[in-house]
Amino acid sequence: LIVTAAVAIVGEAVRDRLAGVVGASHVRADAGALLTYSTDSTPLQRGRPDLVVFPASTEEVAAVLRIADEARVPVIPRGSGTNLSGGTVAHRGGIVLALTRMNRLLEIDPADLVAVCEPGVRTIELAQAATAVGLLFPPDPGSQATATIGGNVAECSGGLRALKYGVTRDYVLGVQAVLAGGEVIRSGGRLVKDVAGYDLQRLLCGSEGTLAVITEVTLRLVPAPEGSGTGMAYFRALADAGRAVSRVLSSGVLPVTLEFLDQVCIGAVEDYARIGLDAGAGALLIFGQDGDPRVIGRDLERIALACRAEGAISVRVAESPQEAAELLRARRAVLPSLSRLEPLTLLEDATVPRSRIAEMVDRIQEIAGRHRVRIGTFGHAGDGNLHPTAVLDPADEDAVGRAHAAFAEIFAAAIELRGSITGEHGVGIVKLAYLERQLGAAHVALLRRIKLAFDPHGILNPGKLGS
Amino acid sequence: VTDTIFTPELLNRCIACGFCLPACPTYELTGVETSSPRGRIGLMRAIEDGILVENDPTVMEESSFCLGCRACEPVCPAGVQYGALLEQWRDRLWRGRHCPWRLRALLFAVNRPSRVRLLGLLRRHARTRRRAATEANLMLGCFERALYPQVSRAATALAPELGVPVGQGCCGALHAHNGDLARGEELARELGEALPGTIVATAGGCAAHLAGVLGGDRVAELSQWLARRDHPVTPGPAPARGGGASQPDRVSARPRIGLQDSCHLRNGLGVWREPRELLEQVGEYVELPSAAGCCGAAGTYAILRPRDSARVLDRHLDEIARADLDVIAVVNPGCYRQLQQGVGRRGLRTRVMHLSEVLVQDGRLEPSRNGGGAAL
Repeated sequence: LIVTAAVAIVGEAVRDRLAGVVGASHVRADAGALLTYSTDSTPLQRGRPDLVVFPASTEEVAAVLRIADEARVPVIPRGSGTNLSGGTVAHRGGIVLALTRMNRLLEIDPADLVAVCEPGVRTIELAQAATAVGLLFPPDPGSQATATIGGNVAECSGGLRALKYGVTRDYVLGVQAVLAGGEVIRSGGRLVKDVAGYDLQRLLCGSEGTLAVITEVTLRLVPAPEGSGTGMAYFRALADAGRAVSRVLSSGVLPVTLEFLDQVCIGAVEDYARIGLDAGAGALLIFGQDGDPRVIGRDLERIALACRAEGAISVRVAESPQEAAELLRARRAVLPSLSRLEPLTLLEDATVPRSRIAEMVDRIQEIAGRHRVRIGTFGHAGDGNLHPTAVLDPADEDAVGRAHAAFAEIFAAAIELRGSITGEHGVGIVKLAYLERQLGAAHVALLRRIKLAFDPHGILNPGKLGS
Repeated sequence: VTDTIFTPELLNRCIACGFCLPACPTYELTGVETSSPRGRIGLMRAIEDGILVENDPTVMEESSFCLGCRACEPVCPAGVQYGALLEQWRDRLWRGRHCPWRLRALLFAVNRPSRVRLLGLLRRHARTRRRAATEANLMLGCFERALYPQVSRAATALAPELGVPVGQGCCGALHAHNGDLARGEELARELGEALPGTIVATAGGCAAHLAGVLGGDRVAELSQWLARRDHPVTPGPAPARGGGASQPDRVSARPRIGLQDSCHLRNGLGVWREPRELLEQVGEYVELPSAAGCCGAAGTYAILRPRDSARVLDRHLDEIARADLDVIAVVNPGCYRQLQQGVGRRGLRTRVMHLSEVLVQDGRLEPSRNGGGAAL
């Protein structure tokens, strides 16, 4: 089965029609803007769109898609462009559909425990609005201050609380979306139980903009925990921290946060955050629990015990909320901080069952050493989601080649350990070549048929998932 | 000619993570990434690599639309020195005949110490209390001495230990931020020679520029200096400590004071706690949500792009009105002028005062003079 993929031929006529829909000032075709929207946060990935269009409503999105579908022009939906897999790069040209103007938080309903918002709302804004009424929106990806809800849903973002609370898909109750031909659909809604029809909102979660454009999301909220506590433990080596993670998780505790950093990452993030991290330690494990204060105290104590049993050099519980917040802020800043070492940071997010984490860490180190690549590893240890990150000089082509070879082996190792090539960053462009190895031919063929059903002319984010 | 515009190490630092987007006032206004720090760095790279020409309309527009507030720097985990990149950009684009004409007169006026002195002679400035150079000396800002001579008078009253030498020129911030980096650095070094020891500045913008050229240990902004000093802050009776309950009248009479941070002071020098702690001693300090954000003055921005400048200011005025402040304190003359004009336009009762003026009055504020007509 061959899915037609649109190629970019965006003429004056299409441009004028689009300007008629969203207003001329919301269509950008100047070289500077096209350059800006040629990239997201993914290194080395670049694709120049022909137009950037900023719609303000579901109706405008539908009209834009009808025009694009008729003209067979690619449409690449985009939020704030914090994507890490090249998922929002217009590598076949076309229209970048930036949804940042659709940024209204429509409602927070404490009775139904839901939030309804447009896709351009920033994740942190939603989280803060929920907090203000005593509720919690748990998914908190590292980019939460910049990233949008629409992007989070389309990529099925994770975050630091996934271990206990799950990821974005666990909070999407309903969506409104526009299909490639301009038809508007709704799936799910404000209900916890609703089995009328296929679970399309789940399908759209992580669809990476290849099936439909999400224009409204209904999200589940939970009561905010009474309190939270955070602590840290230093280890001689990352594998020790990995073993401590397995011990914690089999000791009857489900922490809200269990994050680790190796020595390379500790040094880089301390250079930015200056919060007194011990850059000489081999690994740092950050752990946290929330809920009833008594439970927090008990669980942090159990986690500390497990860490000591695996040879932790030191264990410490944050004394103030500020100290805890600083620690988590530092953790979120690890990736960009790594660029202090070298200008190019190639990041992956291979994921393994949590019981295999120490094994995977050893494999990564062995692969990095053999390919002579400097790799810093950090990640969501509690859910087996690792972020091995190569730091390199982009001018050193040989090193870039070695890094890619190392990552190919890291993906293979993850699959072998019954893991995944991507836990939360998405397949995008950069992992598409590895997808079939993980899913198998029949599965990939099914993805293509699903794509065809949603988007017969292949205009939505072509050349990515389902292609 | 294959010369480079930007220092490669500075330009290479950005990994395009986008953490800067929510901090940028022009991204906030437009929602368009081209008008964000990440977007502008992309444009810088494009002109450096020859993908776009230097005078591409979008490139020209964005180099000017940027406020230069550097709010993107503290939130950047990669440590990109955006302010330095912007200076290099404008140095290239605005040099010589490309300099916006409105700027030329300003740059001319402050290019020589004699001209700067003339600005001061027009108004009664701190010269009446001129004091010989000592180990710490007050810098008399060039526009401040013409527009707000009361600031240096208040500063010398608060810090009688400071020398106030004559023959001071401009610090060069104006030149550095507006397309003449070399002259900006030269002027800073000249001022560094005219003022030995620690240079105490009443303007956040000047302090940050001087610190950038002369090194942070040579420079202190006034609030830093006062906080660092041993003796009490105010020349009058020290504010009651822990006696609030026994002095209910005094407490209820405390003025409600907000602060507008100086962008370069906060984002460039990391000074934001000091002015707040000083204000808390003389009034009821109210932290406005936008206190840390640029007010739109942004050096010459209010002159070059008055409409955008007013759009950036609007949110600040809304918050000042909602908080019903008695005083909004500033730590930079550009913000002083910007807020004074904005408050006047809206007819708010709030007084705009430099931090030093608020402190020297020790919270005993006279009735509001600016802001005509509003309730008093």
